Amino acid sequence: MDQGIRRRDFFKMMAAGSAAGAVAACADKPEKLIPYLLPPENVEFVPGKPLEYATTCMECPAHCGMVVRTREGRAIKSEGNPDHPISQGALCLRGQAGLQTHYNPSRLSSARQRDGEGWKDLSWDAAEKAMADAIKAVSDKRRIVYMTGNVSGTGVEFLDGWLKAVGASPKVVLEPLGQHNIRAANQLAFRRAEVPQYRIGEARMLINFGSDFLETWQNPVENGRLYADMNAYDEGSKSKGKFVHVGPHVSLTGANADQWVKVTPGSEAVLALALARRLLGAGGVTGSDKSRLGDYLKPYTLERAAKETGVEAGVIKALASEFGSSAPGLALAGGTSVASTEGTRVQFAVNLLNLVAGNIGKTVVFGASRQIDPSNTYAEVAKAVERMASGEVDVLIVDGANPLYHLPASAKAEAALGKVKTIISLSSAMDETTAKAHLILPGQSALERWGDAFPQNGVYSLIQPVMAPVYPVKAAEDTLIAVAGQLGLKDYEASPTYRDVVRAAWKKVQKDVGSGEEFEDFWRASLQRGGVFRSVSFSSSVRLNPAALESSPPAVAELSGEGLALVPYPSLRHRDGRGASNPWLQEIADPLSAVVWGSWADINPETAKKLLIGQGDGIRVESAHGALELPANLHYGVHEDAIAIPMGQGHTGSGRNADHMGVNVLDLLPASADRTSGEFAYLTTRVRVSPTGRKGDMVQTSFANRQLDRGIIQTQTLAEAQAGKAPESGHGGGHGPRPNVDFYPLREDQTPGYYDPYRWGMTVDTERCTGCSACVAACYAENNLAVVGKTRVGLGREMAWLTINRFLEGEGDDYKTLMQPMMCQQCGNAGCEPVCPVYATYHNPEGLNAQIYNRCVGTRYCSNNCAYKVRKFNWFNYEWEAPLNLQLNPDVTVRSKGVMEKCSFCVQRIQRAKQAANEEGRNVADGEVTPACVQTCPTRALTFGNLADPNSAVSKKAKRGKGEQDQRVRQYEVFPELKQHPAVTYLRKVTFEPHKEA
Amino acid sequence: MSAEAITVTYADVNKDILETLERPKPAFFLMLIGSVTALLIGAVSWAIQIDVGLGLSGINHPIGWGVYITNFVFWIGIGHAGTLISAVFFLTRAPWRAPVYRAAEAMTVFAVMTAGLFPLLHVGRVWYAYWLIPYPNQRLLWVNFKSPLLWDVFAVSTYLTISVTFFVVGLVPDLSAMRDNAKGLRKLMYTMLTMGWNNSYQQWMHYARGYLLLAAFATPLVFSVHSIVSWDFAMSLVPGWHTTIFAPYFVAGAIFSGLAMVITICVPLRVIFGFHHYITDHVLQSMAKVILFTSVIVGYAYATEFFIAYYSGVPFERALFYFRPFGEPGSLAPVADAGSFGFPQIAFFLMVFCNVIAPLPLWRLKIRHNAIALFIISILINIGMWFERFNIVVSSLQRDFNPANWGAYIPTPVELGITLGSFGFFFTLFTLFTRAMPSLAIAEVKESLPPPYKHPDQDHVPWREFATERTEDHNHA
Repeated sequence: MDQGIRRRDFFKMMAAGSAAGAVAACADKPEKLIPYLLPPENVEFVPGKPLEYATTCMECPAHCGMVVRTREGRAIKSEGNPDHPISQGALCLRGQAGLQTHYNPSRLSSARQRDGEGWKDLSWDAAEKAMADAIKAVSDKRRIVYMTGNVSGTGVEFLDGWLKAVGASPKVVLEPLGQHNIRAANQLAFRRAEVPQYRIGEARMLINFGSDFLETWQNPVENGRLYADMNAYDEGSKSKGKFVHVGPHVSLTGANADQWVKVTPGSEAVLALALARRLLGAGGVTGSDKSRLGDYLKPYTLERAAKETGVEAGVIKALASEFGSSAPGLALAGGTSVASTEGTRVQFAVNLLNLVAGNIGKTVVFGASRQIDPSNTYAEVAKAVERMASGEVDVLIVDGANPLYHLPASAKAEAALGKVKTIISLSSAMDETTAKAHLILPGQSALERWGDAFPQNGVYSLIQPVMAPVYPVKAAEDTLIAVAGQLGLKDYEASPTYRDVVRAAWKKVQKDVGSGEEFEDFWRASLQRGGVFRSVSFSSSVRLNPAALESSPPAVAELSGEGLALVPYPSLRHRDGRGASNPWLQEIADPLSAVVWGSWADINPETAKKLLIGQGDGIRVESAHGALELPANLHYGVHEDAIAIPMGQGHTGSGRNADHMGVNVLDLLPASADRTSGEFAYLTTRVRVSPTGRKGDMVQTSFANRQLDRGIIQTQTLAEAQAGKAPESGHGGGHGPRPNVDFYPLREDQTPGYYDPYRWGMTVDTERCTGCSACVAACYAENNLAVVGKTRVGLGREMAWLTINRFLEGEGDDYKTLMQPMMCQQCGNAGCEPVCPVYATYHNPEGLNAQIYNRCVGTRYCSNNCAYKVRKFNWFNYEWEAPLNLQLNPDVTVRSKGVMEKCSFCVQRIQRAKQAANEEGRNVADGEVTPACVQTCPTRALTFGNLADPNSAVSKKAKRGKGEQDQRVRQYEVFPELKQHPAVTYLRKVTFEPHKEA
Repeated sequence: MSAEAITVTYADVNKDILETLERPKPAFFLMLIGSVTALLIGAVSWAIQIDVGLGLSGINHPIGWGVYITNFVFWIGIGHAGTLISAVFFLTRAPWRAPVYRAAEAMTVFAVMTAGLFPLLHVGRVWYAYWLIPYPNQRLLWVNFKSPLLWDVFAVSTYLTISVTFFVVGLVPDLSAMRDNAKGLRKLMYTMLTMGWNNSYQQWMHYARGYLLLAAFATPLVFSVHSIVSWDFAMSLVPGWHTTIFAPYFVAGAIFSGLAMVITICVPLRVIFGFHHYITDHVLQSMAKVILFTSVIVGYAYATEFFIAYYSGVPFERALFYFRPFGEPGSLAPVADAGSFGFPQIAFFLMVFCNVIAPLPLWRLKIRHNAIALFIISILINIGMWFERFNIVVSSLQRDFNPANWGAYIPTPVELGITLGSFGFFFTLFTLFTRAMPSLAIAEVKESLPPPYKHPDQDHVPWREFATERTEDHNHA
């Protein structure tokens, strides 16, 4: 037996061995999967920890402050900079989608040169040399034209300096939606050629002549916030300012109005002056001004106004007396529907209205020196194009400007550009003009480069790179510096980068704001905050310019051609067309028409009936300058004598996400300008409209226009709200609460203490919601929502977790639009949870209907059983076309095919806040968690927080606590009769008059 | 006819039935080629769907269930007739069941097998479908017993188990007859399946008891399975689904469609195999009577749904039941066309016509005795019952609570391919069955015959009533 093991030894070894194995198996020491490779001093890159950089949004010339969150060196989310005095922490949907401009698949990744029909890649040095050579080759340097878009701050000076040093013609700034009419009208009326500050928030009544201030006009983020301050019912003061929209067309802004005054296209000035005439005694003007104005306004009688505008005299009378009795009021004018060749005169008329009503200096304040757009007028742009057409231009440098798209076909820019010997593009992405260039040195996106913007007195906003460039390309300014160096220009040898130029310029900024600290500290602090923001009080009194009253009095604008008046209007999503290659902006539905990925024409149902056009039918729209085919969208909010078509679609060279989506309405317009300001004239022509006999290519996300008395978006009258009463139950299912008859005992989730310490909940104030859809874009960005494209949206497969519900009430001119964001209601007694066979969705202890993607088998029963239909199914594995994939938020799982997904109240943010609180040994405090939608809402319609805490802001708004049911005035839940106990409480919209049912 | 039927002897039965298993007829090959082709189309469609994703179907948001669930309920419904005939009518001593019950049982087993494919077909991640089974696992994951889908898993699998058991047990005496005639591999197969059956008195005694027990066991399942399937819908809150009448409504519908399918199968079987003596007009007319009865119940259920939708005053229900026959309400203007008559409305009227109107001629005995008329009506009922399920599943989801979310649904080629494949699957199995097993129950047919070597009128005849009733019937005719 000496060779074998004895039985006893065997057992000993067995025991020892298994004990050792068991000890080894207990991995009680956590293993670090991600090694902490970087030295602790370099706190900038802790894997898994987000880093935020303050910068400025460059999606439009409004220049909102922005904070970009980065993870592992990639920008993943943009949010408003809360320190920024203009945007105050909010962003619009275009701002939210700016990330996809940055990661756009149509961005150019390298320098290239035209090679026959195609392109030849070029090394950067060679490209710079080619550009310098092209400039050198021009003997008369004035034959060099530089065309740019959206240039700001120091960039203006820098560019002017560079062009001067080269000897080129002055820059041409092409911004299609300018504010020159306002400047010209203020010059005319008050001898102040500036855009005043409109203090919408301080007005007690707002009359808006055509401007789409909640969508694209000036700064929609700021406008939205101020508008909500003015118009939303205030529980404290129990007041609500009235908003009247005047115009031939209702876009999103008009849809929010308490009253729509439908006027004949082009007749706004007459109405404004008729109102002014009736308000002459209001006290806004006195003495000689008053008598002079009296004479001037004499022809604008009620009868004439009624006749020319098509508005009943009684309505004008009532409007005037209301406006007079709610001082200070505010009259705004803007947008394309007042931009006729007499657009400046409309602005002038509205100036007079504000003047007689005593609003100047109160709600219209001069001296802010707002730089909404340092652009050139259309007349100036047209002159440059003319020079090209006549062969006077040898080199055209375009940088962000896209004349081949933004100028109407009738301006013949294409032929003109064809005569330019060398077109050099510094644009960062492919567009119609760049596609025609001979040499491309692609610029950087706004998230990669340096710069600044000064949108208003006292507001100095910085642009800084938040990440390394996606592609090895240079900022346009740096390219210019390098080229200047090659040209041997002395001034540019000292400053090798544009960053140094900006830094140098900020020394002056420091002086301006009077900061006494070291420049380095000032610079660092400015970069941290996103700029320097000083509250500057400005007001300067203006006086009426008597000479202005000697000019010819405004009348109804005359339109050429015959048929329906064509009202082109900027799209909420694509503005003038710049955002068209942005997949999010294409996929997010227009809140009013619910159209995605394409164009449509708003046409009045009465007119459509006469022309035998049905909803979605293809129509042919023909003017003297061109013809288009597009689908018709029947819309009450357009004058019977007009047809309105959104701008921004119909691209032909901007990448596959933009090209051939819809049509470009500019193709129908004559190349005409405002007679006074030179601004492009949009409302100039009439069009013949006829059905094509085919269905139009239109995809709408929302099926029905009516809520069929289902109380999804409820309203109540101002009187009821002021009396502190909820509307009587049963009066119009759409308006009041349902009778609260409950045969069931309280469920667990309703008993106090069931949720401890958190029950996450939200309130949505439909009174504040304008439907601007910024929340939808924020949700797409934060939660890695897939973009599925036109066909799939048409099949009902869009992935939006948060959608805007839109319903109409009433008919004809009296119709009203109701809007409301609808996200997962995180029900306490949810329909989705009990039907899931595998617990892929379950009720978590904090009241969330948690969805566990990797447990989901995909029966879709939860979606069927969700009354709110907020669950979205992954029908395919969706792809993020490179480099869009770099934007994906690493905190949120990317879902695979066959899995259900839905709004999680941004659970990743909740977790982050809880972790932070845990580390400090406390609970999450109110306001520490903000879901993406709540964060970006410009009007603060959304409130999020802990419903289990009776003192949280959301609890106070929702009034869901014990005994609080009687105190509810505006609060309601959607579909209470289904007993789902949603965690989202809606607040009723307050109306001046009870809404009519459909 | 009547005289002929009575003169059939035990030997004739053996000969007639076993003959069907001898040399295959051309009809067999035609059926087999047709069904296998259909099956392959379905298999390829499914493979593509698994690879690409469920997006290949027409299912969308908000219509999360479409043709697949329609097919599931349809096939489960078909699967009801077999057990009803073999178990319930066995217990109630309905003698006309004997010649058709074997085919009906086979149909049940194959239909439930077909139905069982659809829950797999319609889920997003079929490779994880086993998660619906509560099995112990290291991750301590469990299933949700509150979910009607899980009840389905149990209801259907129990039903399949019992149906198969019942089918196999019923086959034992017949298989022994075949074993005695067979040679080679067939003999081995049948020997194994007969499990040592030697036709002894002792065995017959146990067999009869066991069969009775199984029949008693299967009877409640006939009613429970489709009740539970109906609760997939009734337990939800979707208007048009959330209805208390669903269980009896579905069971009646299942029997209705199942018996129609039995007729659809038996009429060709009778022609191809020349079973006129066994599947007599009387047998067919008895089934037609049950069809007529269930048709009336189903029609009543349709009417009740409309009445309750009106009477409850629930706006969601009212809107849905307006939509089903009439389309969009006028108040949706200007965007939607009022009164549009589309696919859902066609489905609705097809359902009413096929299920309520088409069976009405069955009130006449002449029609009930006319095999061709019965065959046509049974086909119409099959179509109508498919559309009934389609109507319930799809149109309810089309018009739920929030009008902004409403949608439309049109089946895609992949869905139609898989549907075709399911028919292929079913008929492939059934065609093979007619070749491998006796499609008529030899032993039970024999039971209904007068015993040999004795005068027919002299002795006790099992279920004498059957014989007399049949004679009377024929006299009437």
